[in-house]
Amino acid sequence: MSAPARLLLLEDERNVAETLIERLRAAGFVVTRADSLASARRAIAEGSFALAILDVGLPDGSGFDLARQLRARAPTTAILFLTAHADAEDRIRGLEIGADDYVAKPFHFRELLLRIQNCLKRAQDLAQVPGEMRGLVHIGRARVDFERFIATVDGETQSLTHKECAVLRLLAERAGKAVSRDEILDRAWSADEFPTSRTVDNFIVRLRKLVEFDASDPRVIRSIRGVGYLLTEIHRD
Amino acid sequence: MKDNAGKGGLSRAPMRRARWLAAAAALWLSLQLVLVVWWATVIERQAAQIAALEALQGGNVGQAAAQWSRTRLMLIGESATSLALLAVVSLLLAWLYWREHRRARAMQAFFASVTHELRTPLTSIRLQAEAIAEGEQRAELATRLLEDSHRLESQIDKTLELARIEGGGPLREQSIPLQAWISHSLDGIAQAHGAALDLRAHLDPGLPPIQADAGALQMILRNLVENSVRHARVNPVDVRLTAAARGAQLVLEYQDNGQGVDAGARRLGRLFGRGPNSSGAGVGLYLVRRLMQRMGGRAKFNTAPGEGFRAELWFPVST
Repeated sequence: MSAPARLLLLEDERNVAETLIERLRAAGFVVTRADSLASARRAIAEGSFALAILDVGLPDGSGFDLARQLRARAPTTAILFLTAHADAEDRIRGLEIGADDYVAKPFHFRELLLRIQNCLKRAQDLAQVPGEMRGLVHIGRARVDFERFIATVDGETQSLTHKECAVLRLLAERAGKAVSRDEILDRAWSADEFPTSRTVDNFIVRLRKLVEFDASDPRVIRSIRGVGYLLTEIHRD
Repeated sequence: MKDNAGKGGLSRAPMRRARWLAAAAALWLSLQLVLVVWWATVIERQAAQIAALEALQGGNVGQAAAQWSRTRLMLIGESATSLALLAVVSLLLAWLYWREHRRARAMQAFFASVTHELRTPLTSIRLQAEAIAEGEQRAELATRLLEDSHRLESQIDKTLELARIEGGGPLREQSIPLQAWISHSLDGIAQAHGAALDLRAHLDPGLPPIQADAGALQMILRNLVENSVRHARVNPVDVRLTAAARGAQLVLEYQDNGQGVDAGARRLGRLFGRGPNSSGAGVGLYLVRRLMQRMGGRAKFNTAPGEGFRAELWFPVST
């Protein structure tokens, strides 16, 4: 039997936090609560978490800032925003920072539980890097370390979000073969996030900026009309 | 290590719109200028031709020159007046646009704030209710439900009061002995916050009565206390009330022991003005300020890191 997953809950509203902790513990998780950015930073420094559930509007700063730090410092930790900031701009911002999911308040606990389980499963899949993808993998002009969630381009190291890593790894595992948009969606997004094939296209645009020698003439990640994408340039150290 | 998650150009649309507006305004002003110059030039040429024709017809050259000089002055005056009028109309239009734009933004901010403020207690209520529906029977759940329903009620009260005050709703001002009123109302105000709040008043029974609306007074103290409980970041929050007569006014001083924020005193009490990273709606302190103004008094707020939150409420003394 595997050990229960450790969750960090950053929530400044006492009633919401207390009830959530009780219910998450009853669902089998180990939960640490933080009510401010400062206490969340202390908790992150003291221990590791499989998932961080972050509020956005906090007394001493924004949960978005913590997510950026967390993404760089603890890349394997999945991030789920749980916030009353529910408009599309906030949602997009959260996902662009590297959140694995974004849940708007008010929510149903069972839905939250499902999303937490999906985040944890995807994070677990990402953490299990197959042998041929370990070490440094050259994809176009980037050197990618899938185990550390980083890519180095022109000597500059960048952190990769979980979704970027998942999409890039799928393309790398299937290098030389076309990968459909549906397969990409299945790997990196859960069904309850309501992604579209346009979501995949936007992600590919971002990945091309990372790996292409000339993003206006993509040759590393090629579009296959009516199918999806194909990765052409890959080799290992 | 660099974080590659950019901000994604979320504010590009308003920037683009502002650039378009500035370009349109510059084009509009340039067109006006060209029109006025063109009009003045045409008229000046015609007047010069008329003066030349008059001189050819044997008119008095000196008289024609004087006439031409007067016409020229008149033309310059007319051109300048037209230009000034056009500039005034342009400025008026720009101001009307700006006012409407601000109103629309304020309305948008209002709905965003209120919606955001309602979401949090709703989230909590749903969580407790779901737990109860699944068979949990604990007293804490009921306590939390009561706290959240109180918070919802308070938010709705504030929204309604805001609409009433902004719509010019009347106040019933009367002579109120502040010390007696506070000692009577304090428990009711503090009760909603339980052990999270220690609210005490040290008021001299000999203070002169103030001229105020009792309902507004209740709303003012409730909003100040809610503001402290929400933003003080200490537990429990200690609030002290003191008062002193100063001439024809009575000053009620409110001080909490919170951590304080570097918010700037001028920002406090602005409608939808929220402190740095505040999760509030930005309505509570604005209502305090507006209600004090409506009662012929004023409110001053101050906060700084390590100094808590302080409010001075200046009431007119009842004569």
